Amino acid sequence: MKKKFLSLVLAAGMTMSLLAGCGNSEATSTQSQDTQAQTAESSEETSSEATEAVAATADDVTITMMFSGVASENDFETEVLPKLIKEKFPNITLEVTKLPDDQYYTALKTKLASGECPDIILVQPKYAGSNSVIELAKAGYLMDLSDLSFLDLAGDAAKEAFTYDGKVYGVAQGVSILGTYYNKNMFDENGLEVPKTWDEFLDCCETLKNAGIQPIVMGDKDAYVMQFGLYQIAANEVYPNNASFDDQLRTGETSFEDEGTWDKVLEMYYELYDKGYVIESSLGLGAAQAIQMFVDGEAAMTFDGSFNAAALTADGKVDFERGYFPLPAVNGDTYASMAPGGGPAVYAGTQHPDEVKAILEYWFDGESPAYQAFASTGNVIITYGYGADQNDAMFDAFLDLYNQGKAWYWCNQAWPSGTENEMESLFGSMIGGQGTTVSDITSGMQMKLEELLEAN
Amino acid sequence: MKKKFRGASLVMPDRMYFFVTPALVLFLVFWVYPVLQLFYYSVTNFNGVNYNYDFVGFKNYARIIQEGSLINAIKNTFIYTVIIVVGSNLLGLALAMLLNMKIIGKTVFRTMSYIPALFSAIVVGFIWSYVYMPGSGMLAALLNAVGLDGSTVNLLGNFKTALYSIAVVDIWKNVGTTMIIYLAGLQTVDESLLEAGKIDGCTEWQLIRKIKLPLISATITINVVLNVIAGLKSFDYSFIMTNGGPGKATQTLMYIIFKTAFNDQMMGKASAFSVVSFILIIAITIAMLRFMNKREVEL
Repeated sequence: MKKKFLSLVLAAGMTMSLLAGCGNSEATSTQSQDTQAQTAESSEETSSEATEAVAATADDVTITMMFSGVASENDFETEVLPKLIKEKFPNITLEVTKLPDDQYYTALKTKLASGECPDIILVQPKYAGSNSVIELAKAGYLMDLSDLSFLDLAGDAAKEAFTYDGKVYGVAQGVSILGTYYNKNMFDENGLEVPKTWDEFLDCCETLKNAGIQPIVMGDKDAYVMQFGLYQIAANEVYPNNASFDDQLRTGETSFEDEGTWDKVLEMYYELYDKGYVIESSLGLGAAQAIQMFVDGEAAMTFDGSFNAAALTADGKVDFERGYFPLPAVNGDTYASMAPGGGPAVYAGTQHPDEVKAILEYWFDGESPAYQAFASTGNVIITYGYGADQNDAMFDAFLDLYNQGKAWYWCNQAWPSGTENEMESLFGSMIGGQGTTVSDITSGMQMKLEELLEAN
Repeated sequence: MKKKFRGASLVMPDRMYFFVTPALVLFLVFWVYPVLQLFYYSVTNFNGVNYNYDFVGFKNYARIIQEGSLINAIKNTFIYTVIIVVGSNLLGLALAMLLNMKIIGKTVFRTMSYIPALFSAIVVGFIWSYVYMPGSGMLAALLNAVGLDGSTVNLLGNFKTALYSIAVVDIWKNVGTTMIIYLAGLQTVDESLLEAGKIDGCTEWQLIRKIKLPLISATITINVVLNVIAGLKSFDYSFIMTNGGPGKATQTLMYIIFKTAFNDQMMGKASAFSVVSFILIIAITIAMLRFMNKREVEL
């Protein structure tokens, strides 16, 4: 009897210790996630002790921040920014964690669900990605930032992209551009200039093709690159006629199947494939392989983003000068496809709203050391304040359009995510000769959109 | 006190059940509960972020059947599975038989055929996307070298060939593992039986057919089962090499679950896909094991 009782107790003990073990390991895993941030700010700890006496009146606060990306050497978010914040506000310690994209989404979801979200998080404009500002604001996770003073500097496009229900919930970090990279030497040799209308663009392609040069190379095996061309055309042909086309998609006032909207965009883009201007084997080429072919001088043009500028201007088999232009509109009134970059937003449940706002004011005021360091990272294209004149001259034409207000966000940023995948699959079937028509694509996109809207 | 409870099992005395509890708790919390949750989410429109989701009944199921994505994914997965089961086993068995003979440099060849299995799928997928690269890839260059027109080779970009092309990569990577298992099986075959067969006048083919294969039937079962599981779970190369494309030509079940859950943000619909895959894979595995076990006894 005794033995039996003993074994019972032992078994119960084992169960308990196992469960306790689970609890502990959970705690350590969150700790290890933060170690990166802790090591980043531990170096500042010694210097801060001296200044602590000065700031004794203000309470010491720790602000946490979580961003996506991979921390590089002397990383801006994890190393430079916490140091500069400490210099400016000795009582504030900024702890930054940076996680690779996929892990970031998962961590953000769990932290939001458990109510332990960091004070500052990275959000994407409009409906883009699983950390889109509108979805998070709608769920009540974000704090209203409309009263931040620097928002006016950043311009309406940046503000608009982070607005939900009339309030601004996030801060744009520069802009990203979609455009057409071209080989200036090839253009010169064939007496071509940057086209001003769509017809001129087609003529350019025809001239190049007749000269035995592949006009355009695209890596459509990575189907997302189809967006690079399509969104440029949409910026010219859809939004100038109806600025709230995408908002109205959500209310049902407009549809992808409306005549003269996406059918036109897809037809124009398909023409490039149909006439052999885009390389025939594009569906078998990866994005990186297409970039390599452009860099090696095997094609005259490629549609790509400013985020890939480094790869596209790298040295290849032949030396040539690169240029960058927005795809021209049919009527010559060209708009650029430029997206305000994802940026920080503030968790609604933060304990220190004033301190967080002070940090953001300092970071984005256009001139502070923090802004200067941010502008110098070269990761984004700066549109105002320090460093705005330091951008690559290639982007000037785009920034002029942007500052004139002649730029549209990227289409998928306003769609429920997944719509663009349907567009890519169906367009892939069309150029792959599967008998898919333009109306199949628009109706497929509309069906997917309706399904996604219903689900989200 | 009685020494034994009436009807108590000899194998598992009652109090022993208490010792199972720790393991059982872990199993329930980390395995059974998530699986049950999957069934639950599959009848909601949960999007992964917002916990104010609604019940939608069997709408998710109806939708994946109506839009044809389920059928397409099942079809692709089955084709892929059949190719890698047949390809991997025939090739693995042939290799194992060759490398089981007394040839010079046997160990070198054995090592070489196992090397691809050591690379991660990402590396293999990346390398092979350059092999298949249209125009200037290795395959195109090889064809050009022997005087054929390599510029028309576009295997991954073609709707008809993309799925087969990525299955070939999977076979190339995993044939080493299959080969090792067959080799281990072949080495258990008793030499005296083969000698007896030879004395009775068996040809080489008869030796294989009547002695070797029956004796390694358990090994065959293992390899086939492992390959079927790998095929039904295939995700890596669709994701790395083709992104499910061109169009939807290489979307497998696992790929479409991933895409629905993480690109489209539709956890509910993805759960419905998962439930269907779950049932399908279990059904296939059970059917196959029963069939194979019968064969084993017969042989």
